[in-house]
Amino acid sequence: MAGDGYGLQGFAVPEGVEDLHTLLGRAGAEHPDLDPSDLMLFETAVIEIANNVVEHGVPSGQVRWRFTLHVRPDQLEATLSDSGEALTDGFDPTMPDVLAEEGRGLPLAHAILDKIEYTRHDDANHWRMVRRRTPDDGA
Amino acid sequence: MQIEQSEREGVVVLTTSGRFNMVSAPRMKARIDETVAAGNPRIVVDLSGIEFMDSSGLGALIGGLKTARQASGDLRIAAPGEQVVTVLRLTNLDRILRPYASVEEAVNGW
Repeated sequence: MAGDGYGLQGFAVPEGVEDLHTLLGRAGAEHPDLDPSDLMLFETAVIEIANNVVEHGVPSGQVRWRFTLHVRPDQLEATLSDSGEALTDGFDPTMPDVLAEEGRGLPLAHAILDKIEYTRHDDANHWRMVRRRTPDDGA
Repeated sequence: MQIEQSEREGVVVLTTSGRFNMVSAPRMKARIDETVAAGNPRIVVDLSGIEFMDSSGLGALIGGLKTARQASGDLRIAAPGEQVVTVLRLTNLDRILRPYASVEEAVNGW
C-alpha cells in the first residue's frame, strides 16, 4: 500500500521544478481517490512557490531546497524549505493589473491554497501550503 | 515545450505542447515577437497540447497580446485544457484572453 508521505531535495533550479512535477504526479497515481482537480490546483500552487524560490533565491543557482508532501484524508499539505537568504519583500497576495506581465505567482498560489505560511528559522525559508480536499460525497 | 507554426487565412497559428512554464515562456514570447515583427500581427496560440501552465506562461501570453495589439493585430488562445482555464480564471485574465473552443473558431471569428 502506498504511503501518504513524499519528499525530495536538491537545488532550486528549473530542473528541480520538473522533479516536483514528477513527484506530485506520482502522488496522484498512487492515490486514485484523490480528486484530479484538487491535485491539479495544489500542483499549480506548489510550482508557483517553487518558481519564486528559483527566481528570487539568493545566491542564485546555489540555493538548496527540501520538499515534503502529505496526502491526508482531508487535505493536501506540503512544505518547501530552502537555504536561500531571508525573504525581504514580504508577501503581497494582490493580483496585479490584467496587463502586467509578472507578479501573479504568489497571488495565484494564495488564491488556490486554504493556508499559506512563510516562516524563517534555522537559517532557512519555509513555505507551508495546505489545500482542503473536495469531500468524496460532495459531488 | 514544443512550438509548431502554420498559417490559416492570413492568421499565424502557433501550436504548443508540453509545459508552458518559466523555462519555455521566454522562448514563446520571443517567437510571438518574431512573428509580429515579420508582419504577422494576427496570431492564434493553440493550447490544446499544454498540460500545465504557470504564471510565467500567462505573462508571456499577455506580453504577446500587447505586442500584437501594438501592431494593430491581436492574439487569441484556443482549446485550453482544464488547468489552463483555471489559472486564467483565478488571475482574471479570462477577461482579456477569452479562450476559443478551437483553432477553427478563433480563426473564423476574426
